[in-house]
Amino acid sequence: MFNNVNIEFTGEFFAFFLLAVCAIVGAVLAINFAKVVHMAVSLAFTFVSLAGLYVLLQAEFVAFVQVLLYVGAVTILMIFGIMMTKHQSEGSETGRPLLETLAAIGCLCLFGILFYAIRSASFPVPTGELPADNTMAIGKLLYSSYAIPFELVSVLLTVAFIGAVALAKREPEGGNGEGAEPAAENKPAPLSGEEGKTP
Amino acid sequence: MQKFWNDPVTWGHAGLYLLGAIAVLAVVIVFVTYAIYFERKVIGWMQYRRGPNRTGPLGLLQTVADVAKLLMKEDTIPAKADKALFILAPVLAFVPSFLVLAIIPYGLNLQFADLNVGFLYYVALSGITTIAIVLGGWSSNNKYALLGGMRSAAQMISYEVPLVMSVVGIAMMTESLNLREIVIYQEGWFWHWNFLPQIVGFAVFVVAAISELNRTPFDLPEAESELVAGYHVEYSGFRFAFFMLTEYIYVYAIACLATILFLGGWNAPAPQLDFIPGLVWFALKFACIVFFLFWIRATLPRLRIDQLMGLAWKVLLPLAILNIFLTAVGIEWWGKGGG
Repeated sequence: MFNNVNIEFTGEFFAFFLLAVCAIVGAVLAINFAKVVHMAVSLAFTFVSLAGLYVLLQAEFVAFVQVLLYVGAVTILMIFGIMMTKHQSEGSETGRPLLETLAAIGCLCLFGILFYAIRSASFPVPTGELPADNTMAIGKLLYSSYAIPFELVSVLLTVAFIGAVALAKREPEGGNGEGAEPAAENKPAPLSGEEGKTP
Repeated sequence: MQKFWNDPVTWGHAGLYLLGAIAVLAVVIVFVTYAIYFERKVIGWMQYRRGPNRTGPLGLLQTVADVAKLLMKEDTIPAKADKALFILAPVLAFVPSFLVLAIIPYGLNLQFADLNVGFLYYVALSGITTIAIVLGGWSSNNKYALLGGMRSAAQMISYEVPLVMSVVGIAMMTESLNLREIVIYQEGWFWHWNFLPQIVGFAVFVVAAISELNRTPFDLPEAESELVAGYHVEYSGFRFAFFMLTEYIYVYAIACLATILFLGGWNAPAPQLDFIPGLVWFALKFACIVFFLFWIRATLPRLRIDQLMGLAWKVLLPLAILNIFLTAVGIEWWGKGGG
């Protein structure tokens, strides 16, 4: 049914086309939306599409770690943060023509450079077959050749983590140390005997 | 999976996929219908009641009637809700829940996608549902819904960690994350199934899984007695039905995963019983886990939110890490299978 066009309409082509369009649409919408929560959602859409592209490149592990971290964790954290803050005075920014013109010129230049660089780059065909179980290959490499960088990254993350806790727990100066902590009181939940969940 | 990408797309292929998807959807919807019936019956019996018994013979059509009611209900959207997100949230919750079913191997040759990171796929996609629940809670513009959404996000992110960690031991023993290979590894007698060598991992997995499902005793996101109905207070009609459907599809998925990861999938408990088809064994184990989930719901009271977080980070996570360590020591000393 598609034989009269030059492109080969394999499943891969359709998947790539769909995912690429989704990624671009998500990114464009993320810039254009007025509400921050909408931006976060469209960003998540882009992340998922990118993960789909990774699957097309047979990098399943990277793809699902991308979904796990960027969609499952980063986006939720962003939404969490946005919900905690006020969002009444959104979408009322006045236009600044000079800045916008300059930004447009900058964007066009960047596009030109990227386009030229991609067009003039040569993509060497990788020699040798990819390993059949690439997840295992990644694991083996991480724990043999790249063990030290891997451990260093984990130390870095731990430091960042502890730093975040320390920043969040900083006590106000000259105050009563105990009272500064918000009373995290939760009333014990009564027993649930009723059949409320079923519709 | 690769072989389909390189084929030219024809209506035949597309139709084949569509048929497969519709078949899974049909199976799942039948499961959900009767899981809800079964749940109400089981809880009823445990509380010395009869459960639904009026609609249809033995009350078998009760869920059908309930769903029909939901579908015919007026579709209300709160005036001050964020309309787009309010509409999007149930869809965003349902789609990943259905997608995770693609990787579940019911038998040696009965699987849709043979992915080499099967378990990771499940965890990654179920995270998208968390976003949907948070969005649903936020966009309703209702404080109970918002509280429910917040709790849900905190809970699901916290319990994802021990859930993943509890399966690491299995990945170490099998040397694969592929669900099919994990089942093939457990062939033989029932003591070769992972639940015995990985008993700590199994316990952590079950607790974390119940929490991921937002079911009692961990149903804080929709605690009826505190939050009215949690994140879906404002939802009614078919949007509410979609949230419910999502929840029960995850019950299905988790029960399948527990069967595959810890109970030997389609393997018979003894090699002599191999003449019974694997699908029957799979269904039996699956049914046991589903019953267990309902049993837990009828038995245990709900946790408090601070106890919930404490349980995830102070009990389950250390246990899961200990399990990884013990598995490593076991593999080092006794080789595979003894760990």
